[in-house]
Amino acid sequence: MKRATVIFAITFLFLAANAQKYMTRNGYIGFYSHTAVEDIKGDNNQVASILDISTGDIVFQVLVKSFHFDKALMEEHFNENYMESEKFPKSTFKGKITNLSSVDFSKPGKYDVTVEGDLNIHDVTNKVAAKGTIEVVTGGINANSKFNIVPEDYKINIPGVVRDNIAKNLEVAVTMKYTPVESK
Amino acid sequence: MKKPVKIVLISIVVLGVAGLAAGLFLFNKKHSDLNKVKPDFKIEASIIQKEFEENEASATSKYLNKIIEISGQIQSVKQGDGFASSINLKTGSEMSSVICTFSSSGDISGLAAGSDITVRGECSGFLMDVLLNNCVIVK
Repeated sequence: MKRATVIFAITFLFLAANAQKYMTRNGYIGFYSHTAVEDIKGDNNQVASILDISTGDIVFQVLVKSFHFDKALMEEHFNENYMESEKFPKSTFKGKITNLSSVDFSKPGKYDVTVEGDLNIHDVTNKVAAKGTIEVVTGGINANSKFNIVPEDYKINIPGVVRDNIAKNLEVAVTMKYTPVESK
Repeated sequence: MKKPVKIVLISIVVLGVAGLAAGLFLFNKKHSDLNKVKPDFKIEASIIQKEFEENEASATSKYLNKIIEISGQIQSVKQGDGFASSINLKTGSEMSSVICTFSSSGDISGLAAGSDITVRGECSGFLMDVLLNNCVIVK
């Protein structure tokens, strides 16, 4: 992706920051596929994400290469055959919390939210919506979500012979622990 | 049964079993243990971060998927708390560091911010920071 854009966006976010922005660079996103043939789980612990609590804007960015699998061959197939991570190294989500008013960021507690936005995987962008929770805790904000995606929606071609080994609907789990961005 | 036919049949069975075993071995193969792998590069955290910042494309093609032994000063330690633990290494940039993420079994309880460290890991590229995965502590 265009690094200048990213740097610009980040710089802008930093300049505008006065504890309205929360960030993490070690967030977790994992996906899980269950079929009668086998279970497949990929974990990524290097997710960068920024949450703006004044507007509800939420952005996620991951390197496809940072997804890890228990079996080396799965990781190789994931990168080379399905995600083509050399060609499309990054995946992003840009969206908004649609019911921001139901979250009281000044009061510790757990709130149900809905997030809508554009999910880009494998160079294909789709509108998605997901339910999740925002938990206001001392010193930060935790966010969790689970939703499903269909690989074919992102032009990820899974050959017929192994199609039954991979779930039609992959479960995606998101766990973020945000800390405030200090204003400079 | 004639002897040559027998030999051929036995060979086919033996080859078949060997093939199956090799296939299963490859299918179940785990990641190589980075404690035992020779690094492709040995470099300081601030230098590799600068290379990525100045030219991400060329640094990516140089370092992606390579085993890198990286030295630097620990900026912060993040205990996994159910997820993989990681450390940030100081670089010349205030906003960008080198994040070394350890395998889920990795124990980093002895590490503290401010101390010097060398870790070995697999480079997965650059987001806001240089990212290393499956890290092990060298010293």
